[in-house]
Amino acid sequence: MSAVGTHAWTRVEAPAAPGPGATLRAEWVKFWTVRSTPWSLAAMFLLGAGLTTLVCALSAEALARGDVGEPVGAFATWGVVFAQVTAVVLGALVVTGEYGTGMIRATLAATPRRGAVLAAKAAVLASTLFVAGTLTALAGYLGGNWFLDREGIGLALTDDGVLRSMVGSGLYMAGLGLFAAAVGLLVRHTAAALAIVLGLVFVVGNLVMVLPGAWGEWATKLMPGNAGSAVATPESFNPLLLDPWVGFAVFVAEVAVVLAVAAAVFTRRDA
Amino acid sequence: MITAHRLTKTYGDRTAVDGVSFTVEPGRVTGFLGPNGAGKSTTMRMVLGLDRPTSGSVTVNGRRYADHPAPLREVGALLEARALHPGRSARDHLRWLAASNGIPRARVDEVLDLVGITAVADQRVGRFSLGMGQRLGIAAALIGDPPVVVLDEPVNGLDPEGIRWVRTLARDLATEGRTVFVSSHLMSEMALTADHLVVIGRGRVLADCPTAEFVAQHAASHVRVRSPQHDEVATLLRHQGLDVAAHGGELRVRGLDPAGVGELVGRSGLLLHELTLVRSSLEDAFMTLTADSVEYAGASR
Repeated sequence: MSAVGTHAWTRVEAPAAPGPGATLRAEWVKFWTVRSTPWSLAAMFLLGAGLTTLVCALSAEALARGDVGEPVGAFATWGVVFAQVTAVVLGALVVTGEYGTGMIRATLAATPRRGAVLAAKAAVLASTLFVAGTLTALAGYLGGNWFLDREGIGLALTDDGVLRSMVGSGLYMAGLGLFAAAVGLLVRHTAAALAIVLGLVFVVGNLVMVLPGAWGEWATKLMPGNAGSAVATPESFNPLLLDPWVGFAVFVAEVAVVLAVAAAVFTRRDA
Repeated sequence: MITAHRLTKTYGDRTAVDGVSFTVEPGRVTGFLGPNGAGKSTTMRMVLGLDRPTSGSVTVNGRRYADHPAPLREVGALLEARALHPGRSARDHLRWLAASNGIPRARVDEVLDLVGITAVADQRVGRFSLGMGQRLGIAAALIGDPPVVVLDEPVNGLDPEGIRWVRTLARDLATEGRTVFVSSHLMSEMALTADHLVVIGRGRVLADCPTAEFVAQHAASHVRVRSPQHDEVATLLRHQGLDVAAHGGELRVRGLDPAGVGELVGRSGLLLHELTLVRSSLEDAFMTLTADSVEYAGASR
């Protein structure tokens, strides 16, 4: 490569197309070189694993006596409810962080194929959240179960739904992050994206439970946070929810629709 | 080489760029000059495939920007208003850019060195001064060693030393045979940097010519004459076929230099109080040329 100003510049050969992994590598570097990523993941671990352990420690005795009235399995991934906030934040920031700073123009100038940019972002985000979510759930289970075991109500990893809930936590986090990223792509604003996704998952998802009759029942079952989270716990607090994998399939379909709309808008809109 | 053909961009009922055609040739610095809001940045975004033209087309080295397999190795661009994440270090910013186009890692250190920010390469760019941010932007533009370099308002906010640095760099890049396209709203800056000018106002090309020609055409001069015998002097000079305009107590004479005017007046025995050559600045010429378009844009909002 020539140094500017020292000699005549001549092109030796036409530049080769970068390999298929180039966009993915670029997004990977971007993802890990802003502080919001390690902070979000650390917060996920502390909230997810920490709260699960804490709540199990505090309620193990009452659970053992049988006066809680809730299934023990619902406690094994208790912290996921709070840890999911960090997945939403990380997912939104991966996209809106670029719009807020103007970085998106540099990104699209470097890789004009917008579909490739979106796919690479989604792959980096989802794979990281899957691993982090699974490890968080596993650590929470190990920590919490130590206290449950002491009261003789511990769960084995091989018990019904326990291992599934560990992997399910990772899957749910990945889906939630993608959902937030897709909404971020549509609104291009961090606060707006967070308000919409957290509002849907935490507020609207619970409000629809008070709707009357079958209407309310189905709205509750189908809200993304409700449908998707059942897979992340061995046994749910809410017996109304869809079966774990059925619910997760509904959740995946919902995320896929929002992502598809976001992708269509993203590829057509001016940067 | 950049070729724009009847390039047009409308936002709703507002036309930002209106049928613009021009060619940016390699081996020289082409200035893209226009007042703020004239459509410079919109045009540059269309060159880079960031905005989609409403009609018309623009190609870089014969292809649409998006059709280049490794665009950073074809076109390097400094975008307006820092397209950077403030939390990322300069080195990391260049690292992801290099990765995206299959550019070797070693090039990151090369361009850091080239723009002189190696010492602060690991600091977060949010802490950078405007000048350092601009240097990083230029490092990013050069990372792919591209034959075409596009700089949008590169001297905005720079101190005199920084301005001179950008000017020298642009000239060096052109001397190396690259295509250099630099936008600015400062006529005086472009007169020093650019070999060729594309002047734009209200989304239309107002002039497309060598800088020297533009200067000769538009930077007109006149001789300012003051005399206690104002009217007699005016009549005398007009009889010699000169263009004489009265402005308050002074006469503005075009078509002859001060020596000639002085001799004419002296031979007729009239008195002179002042005889001055007034060069209208390039900035004035630019203002005159773009005045209509600016006013129109202001009124249409």
